[in-house]
Amino acid sequence: MIKKLILIAVTVLLIGFPLWANGSSDSDTTAPAATVQGFDWQSQKGTTIKIMANKHPWVEIIEPKIAEFENLTGIKVNLAVYPEDQFRTKRTVEMVSGASDVDVFMLMPGNSLAQYHQAGYVAPLDDMMQSKNLLWPEYDLNDIFKSALDAGVKDGKHYTIPILLETSLLAYNKEIFEKYNVEVPKTMEDLEAAAKKIYEGSNGDIYGITLRGKKASATSQWVDFLHSFGGEWLENGKSGIASDDAIAATDYYGRLLRLYGPKSAPSNSWYESISIFMQGKAAMVYDASVFKPNYENPEKSAIAGKVGYARIPEGPAGAIPHVSNWALSIYSNSKNKEAAWLFIQWATSKKIALEGLLKGIPSARNSAWESDDFKNGDTTPEWTQASIASYKVASPIWNPPVIPVGECRDAAGSAIVASILGEDVKSASVEAAKAMDAVLSK
Amino acid sequence: METKTKYVFTLPALVLIGIIVMFPIVYNLFMSMNTWYVASGKGLEWVGIKNYLNLLSDKRFLNSLIVTFLFSLGALVFEVVLGTSLALFLNREFRGKNLVKLIFLFPIAATPVAVSLIWGMMYNYDLGIINIMLQNIGLKPLLWLASPKLVIPALIITDTWQWTPLILLIVLANLESLPTDPFESAKVDGANIMQVIFHITIPMIRPAIVVAAMIRSIDAIKTFDMIYVMTQGGPDIASENLNLYIFQTGFSYFRMGTASALAIVLFAIVLAFNVFLSIIRKSGERL
Repeated sequence: MIKKLILIAVTVLLIGFPLWANGSSDSDTTAPAATVQGFDWQSQKGTTIKIMANKHPWVEIIEPKIAEFENLTGIKVNLAVYPEDQFRTKRTVEMVSGASDVDVFMLMPGNSLAQYHQAGYVAPLDDMMQSKNLLWPEYDLNDIFKSALDAGVKDGKHYTIPILLETSLLAYNKEIFEKYNVEVPKTMEDLEAAAKKIYEGSNGDIYGITLRGKKASATSQWVDFLHSFGGEWLENGKSGIASDDAIAATDYYGRLLRLYGPKSAPSNSWYESISIFMQGKAAMVYDASVFKPNYENPEKSAIAGKVGYARIPEGPAGAIPHVSNWALSIYSNSKNKEAAWLFIQWATSKKIALEGLLKGIPSARNSAWESDDFKNGDTTPEWTQASIASYKVASPIWNPPVIPVGECRDAAGSAIVASILGEDVKSASVEAAKAMDAVLSK
Repeated sequence: METKTKYVFTLPALVLIGIIVMFPIVYNLFMSMNTWYVASGKGLEWVGIKNYLNLLSDKRFLNSLIVTFLFSLGALVFEVVLGTSLALFLNREFRGKNLVKLIFLFPIAATPVAVSLIWGMMYNYDLGIINIMLQNIGLKPLLWLASPKLVIPALIITDTWQWTPLILLIVLANLESLPTDPFESAKVDGANIMQVIFHITIPMIRPAIVVAAMIRSIDAIKTFDMIYVMTQGGPDIASENLNLYIFQTGFSYFRMGTASALAIVLFAIVLAFNVFLSIIRKSGERL
């Protein structure tokens, strides 16, 4: 500790001494700019901030640019990136210890904000969002989609700033659709008929559709079927996953995979599922819209350039996809909140949002979607249209709006796996609902 | 004077064991008597043995016990039988014996996570080499890790591949150090090879087999890395052993009290198993 203090003192002297020795010529040119404008990127110069990030395509875009931020602000950035599963655990463990040196972390508000807010791990951002000295004049908060910004609101305060807004889309292999003379499905019946036609037409060589089937991970897309069939995660504060509509949705989801999907479905998460689609072994996949760059990357995908995109087909209660977003939050015990806020503004700026969108990361900023750069270079206008159409009708709920999200997802996941395996869906759903209610009453 | 000195010399070791072994166990026991739901941001709350009582009606806990038992037993039987047989087979002089021993060391030396990732790919239904081989010899492809029925056998195969050599090496070292007289007199008396193996060799190497089995069984009961990497306990909970369930409860659900109670159960199982095996070993010595 003492060593650290000495080090800081020496650093301050070394940086400060030349300024003082040279007289006022340097400070004369910079100081007025800072006071007149109010906002100054250099105001937190010399601080070091630690950022915890999930291994996400967005981070791959940010990472090489961090040097730009460091040059702009004089803030040193330590970026720690973890694979998703480890990331979630590590993040909570850091917070619980109470002694974390993390300043900024990635968070999915729909997944963790209820928990993080109640535990007091996230700092409210409103003061900084309104401060003339700290809000970058060109930042433009109104440019961010309201649904994405609102996802981070709890009790009237903002806790997260969105970095992207994603939805789920039906992606289909145009070549296979043409070969088997299949139309883009508009309804759930169409979807099943299309999957059947292709699977049977190819004697089982090509799966009609691939979806996630690995327990909790499957609920992220299953929820869209749940909503489109008229079900809800919660009904009157209790589990809704055993309602007639929910059972119909779970039955449908499992049936698609059991009859026309990959046999390995119960062990497939998004990675395995989209891999099967990208190898041309499945005609359709319903998964997150952010995977477009994977589908369209000729190095990874055998079907690049042959993919069409559509919204979720219509079920008995409509066509209801969900939106979800990754966001940045500031740790409540961070000692560098101002520097952290500068980083967040830079990382969610219009410029980076557009760069991200050009690389296929669905921006949470309207200006990026509207920009000529994007419109003119858009190689997958179908994806763009389907994404925007989804945003307009989407539900913000994709996880149960409760604190023990993981346990509830696992409970529902059990029913989904049972359905894929051809077990009795009704009793599995009732069992899962019981487990979920037990968790909620704990 | 003398009596005091002996305490002084053992004290550092005792203190060290107290800090790194006893304290975590006692603290874990204390935590298991509390509710601590980390996600709520609240602290510990004393609940006595409630966490343990809840386990009795917890289907996932019972499932995890069955999975732990089936996996450990399966792995142990295959590894001991195969390891001992191979050791008996290799216990002769031939050229390149040391090279063969070295090759058998490879699976042990490999990182379990890397091994599991590769086996996970090999078991893949559509692309895995195992199903391709099955199809090449005219059999149907199997679901392996995606099937609730086949997932444990698949895990046992991987574990057997990695850890049979350990048993082999321990037993082989013991075989090589055996005195030669009993074998010579057996030969003089006209015993055939089967009689020699079952009536002389195996009784003589029994302590080594028991030690090897003990080491392996404790590891098998505690297996985590391999299952976590290959299946994460899936499909659903078909391969979720006790250790995985502890991890899930503690670090995914953040219910530390329940997780601690589970950890104590695991500790008790390993301890009981150890005592049981050392009794077997001692009774063998007496015979």
